Amino acid sequence: MTSVSMTRRGAVRSIALAATLPLACGKVMAAAAGAVDGRIATTAALLGVAFPHSRLTPGYYRGVAETYVKEIAAKPAAISEHDRGLALLDANHIAPFAALPPVIQKGLVEKVDQEPFFKAMLWRGAELVYRDRSVWKMVGYEGSSLEYGGYRDRGFNDIDWLPKPGAKA
Amino acid sequence: MTRFGLDDSSVFVVIGSGAAGGTLSNELAQKGHKVVCLEAGPRLSLADVVNDEAVMFDKLTWLDRRMATGKPDPNFPVWSCKTVGGTTMHWTGACPRIEPHEMRARTTYGEMPDTTLVDWPVTPEEIAPWYDKAEIRMGVSGKHGLPFLPAGNNTKVLEAGARLCGYTDIDTHNMAINSVERDDRPACQQLGFCTSGCAVGAKWSTLYTEIPKAEETGRFELRPEAMVTAVNLDDAGRVESVTYLHKGKPVTQKCRAVSVAGNVVETTRLLLNNRSERFPNGLANSSGWVGRNYMRHFTIQVMGVMPGKVNFHRQTHLAGVVRDERAHKPERGFAGGFLISTVPFTPEILAKNMMIGGWGDELTSVLDKYDHLAGMLLTGEDPPQLSNGITLHPTEKDGYGLPIPVIHYEDHPNTIAMKTYAWAAGRRIYEALGAEKIVEMGDYIPATHNMGTARMGTDPKTSVCTTYGRTHDIENLFVSDGSLFPTSAGCNPTLTIVALVLRQAEHIDREIRAGRL
Repeated sequence: MTSVSMTRRGAVRSIALAATLPLACGKVMAAAAGAVDGRIATTAALLGVAFPHSRLTPGYYRGVAETYVKEIAAKPAAISEHDRGLALLDANHIAPFAALPPVIQKGLVEKVDQEPFFKAMLWRGAELVYRDRSVWKMVGYEGSSLEYGGYRDRGFNDIDWLPKPGAKA
Repeated sequence: MTRFGLDDSSVFVVIGSGAAGGTLSNELAQKGHKVVCLEAGPRLSLADVVNDEAVMFDKLTWLDRRMATGKPDPNFPVWSCKTVGGTTMHWTGACPRIEPHEMRARTTYGEMPDTTLVDWPVTPEEIAPWYDKAEIRMGVSGKHGLPFLPAGNNTKVLEAGARLCGYTDIDTHNMAINSVERDDRPACQQLGFCTSGCAVGAKWSTLYTEIPKAEETGRFELRPEAMVTAVNLDDAGRVESVTYLHKGKPVTQKCRAVSVAGNVVETTRLLLNNRSERFPNGLANSSGWVGRNYMRHFTIQVMGVMPGKVNFHRQTHLAGVVRDERAHKPERGFAGGFLISTVPFTPEILAKNMMIGGWGDELTSVLDKYDHLAGMLLTGEDPPQLSNGITLHPTEKDGYGLPIPVIHYEDHPNTIAMKTYAWAAGRRIYEALGAEKIVEMGDYIPATHNMGTARMGTDPKTSVCTTYGRTHDIENLFVSDGSLFPTSAGCNPTLTIVALVLRQAEHIDREIRAGRL
């Protein structure tokens, strides 16, 4: 899409490669102990990498992961493709994906972001996250105003920071 | 409610109830003719329109399978509606006229390789009074004494930035959205959900304007959930009836004449899928040009993370326009021009559009600044290419048992050059106001402006319809939608569709009265 994002991808990939070994080692033990439900944990971590908002908690991503996994559980082809994708992420021989530091997670996801499981999760994940009223509130989207008579009297033209006409840039 | 018998061969059948079909139906009924309008989708009421994009997308959109090759999304190449009112339910309401220099495209732009560029067979002078009638009928703001709509935040940002860049032809656009209460409909309340259906009916849509007015004449019958599958000819090669599926059962309505107004994809599919000994390549397709020259306007966007709050969701979608780049200035490196308009996105749609190129911080750093975003839509002229077109899939069928339409589209080099220039022009506008970050978004919105696949012209070898939209091949078969456009011009097509339909209705009325239809 944008030239900006392509540049970012290249940068992230090189950072991730350089950082992989020293950062990851300390996380191995913790991750192994916490792998009660690997599918949910890995999916939640993946959602956190795809849609990183500092104002959203790990519990939030876990909730979205549970909803997503529940939705696709009834479709054998979808859940099998999803598990195949998660296995790719967990097969790094360092630690489970969910236990890796964000910068390494990003590097790993870069390698699988054209896989069907990831594209499917990204699409549905965007719906689950960005249709959520709490996320709307977080980013400042106000949704329907029909019940209040529209935005006509609720700030549709309240901008106050623009330069006065005739001012220089 | 008026009901016509299936054997009543005096009715004029209109296929589709949108900008073209809804308007043609009403106009013919007003002129005293009996009309049956067949619409594939259901009839909603204003109470069915809610301010929720996801809900309305499911209610309004044509979701039967379509395929594409080339540039468009392979599974969802076209965003059209399947509901009474057609795409007038989800259109933005923008009503620019095609400029005279655009109607003389071949003369203005000269030779353009790999195109079928022509001058319109209807002259600017000839269409001008029909534009007047269409604007008055639709209540277009800023025209015929109606005030402009007020400028909201997104518009004010666009205007301020554009003026700093030296642009001057800027206002809140000519919109078929009530700027004052009129036509028993309220003024715009700035709901901000234009493309999900206007819940208060301030935006012109045939669902609650043309259709009920036609019904009041007592000479009009709307049949929703009627999917036309066949247009049947008699031995003399005239249309004698139309067959449609209603709740899974075939029904055949006799008729005097037919007009097809199904929006380009469905109009093409119906014609191509009706093959006979007389028309082995599809109805009215002796030229072989049905489905070819498909045009669709690019729709690219530029988003700016601005220094202060904009709250661009709080207003009419297409609420401001900069027209300066619409002119033909070959020194820019391309022919034709484009419009710069405002556009907002919900967080979900913004995310989905941005996700095509990436995910992660690049995406969420913009979404985190959602209330600081300004957005613009850049749409420009798409030259006609014979190789861009709509065909029928040889084996795949949809739920009606009809072959799935396959759209093939690739950008012409002229379009690529124009897009590159347009992104840079858009970027400068927000940069002039000190935007923290600019996001250039690609041509990913499925096509909403569909044109060209049954073009009008004077030569039956290189056009499908006459200048009145009558097919060259069949004297009582008409086409009324954007399929007729010989070129696409650099602006939204609906006003021109309505103007051509009003002109067509007068022609049909004359033909019926003269005993020729």
